[in-house]
Amino acid sequence: MGVRRKSGGFVLKVNPILCDGYGHCAELAPDLVRTDEWGYPIVVAVPVPLSNLGALASARYAVRGCPRKAMHIERVADES
Amino acid sequence: MLAITTPYLWYTSRATGMVAMILFTLVVTLGTFVANRIGGTIVGRFEINELHRSLSIVAIVFLGLHILTTVVDSYVSTGLISAFIPMTSSYKRVPVALGAVAFDLILAVWVSSLLKLRIKNQTWRFIHWFSWLGVTTSLVHGFLTGSDARHGFGLILVGLCTLAVVSAALWRFLGRPARAAGRTALSPLAAAPAPRLNPKLTPSGPRRPGVPTSSGPFPRNPRPPQSKARR
Repeated sequence: MGVRRKSGGFVLKVNPILCDGYGHCAELAPDLVRTDEWGYPIVVAVPVPLSNLGALASARYAVRGCPRKAMHIERVADES
Repeated sequence: MLAITTPYLWYTSRATGMVAMILFTLVVTLGTFVANRIGGTIVGRFEINELHRSLSIVAIVFLGLHILTTVVDSYVSTGLISAFIPMTSSYKRVPVALGAVAFDLILAVWVSSLLKLRIKNQTWRFIHWFSWLGVTTSLVHGFLTGSDARHGFGLILVGLCTLAVVSAALWRFLGRPARAAGRTALSPLAAAPAPRLNPKLTPSGPRRPGVPTSSGPFPRNPRPPQSKARR
């Protein structure tokens, strides 16, 4: 078990130039990504708290599973 | 250099070579599945991709065993150098050279995939195309070198693997996703049908100057140029 962060969040980001609409991210992180009608991802833009370990794990799976390596996780600090 | 000779090394070399051939055929076929975007209903697309990645590691392990046992066995004079550099083996010079070429190509594909995060995507894709060449070369190598590949079960196996690779290649070529047609997320209008340019079919009514019409000389929604990359 790692250190559990109590503050901060993350956003799953997609590089639209690299993306080819394989749709693997929507399968791996269904809570964070849905696809538009052409199969391209629409990612939740609101930061998810880092304490949500399940969401973080699925985001990491989406990053790892992308055939075009078009995704990355961006950390954001709390505003307060 | 370690030099042992026992029939068991030869047996292991034959068996692992056969298994590696089957595994690499599977890996290439699964890669075609991924590229042609199969899955998403019964089996997830990401699952096919994961299987493709994991099986490739297993295949490389079997390939390593195949090469190791061949090199260690001193019954035939195939050294470590001839595993990498073609035409250096005095035993079956050309068939073993094909195996070396296939090994080098597979190594290139593997290393480029390990470095996938560090190299450009186009570079990775370019190198990944060579897996077709690698699997073809290895099938020819298996047919020419294999002690079991000329008759019976081995011949059937080589035939089946060749059939799988050839049909996967055909399917990859024919069933490639139509991305170049302009159906991208950024140009949704491109999905609209292209305007008819046949002059016989265009209505030639009175036209006010300056007002563009759909039947004018320039199509209102031109089809984007076909890009060279097919996807």
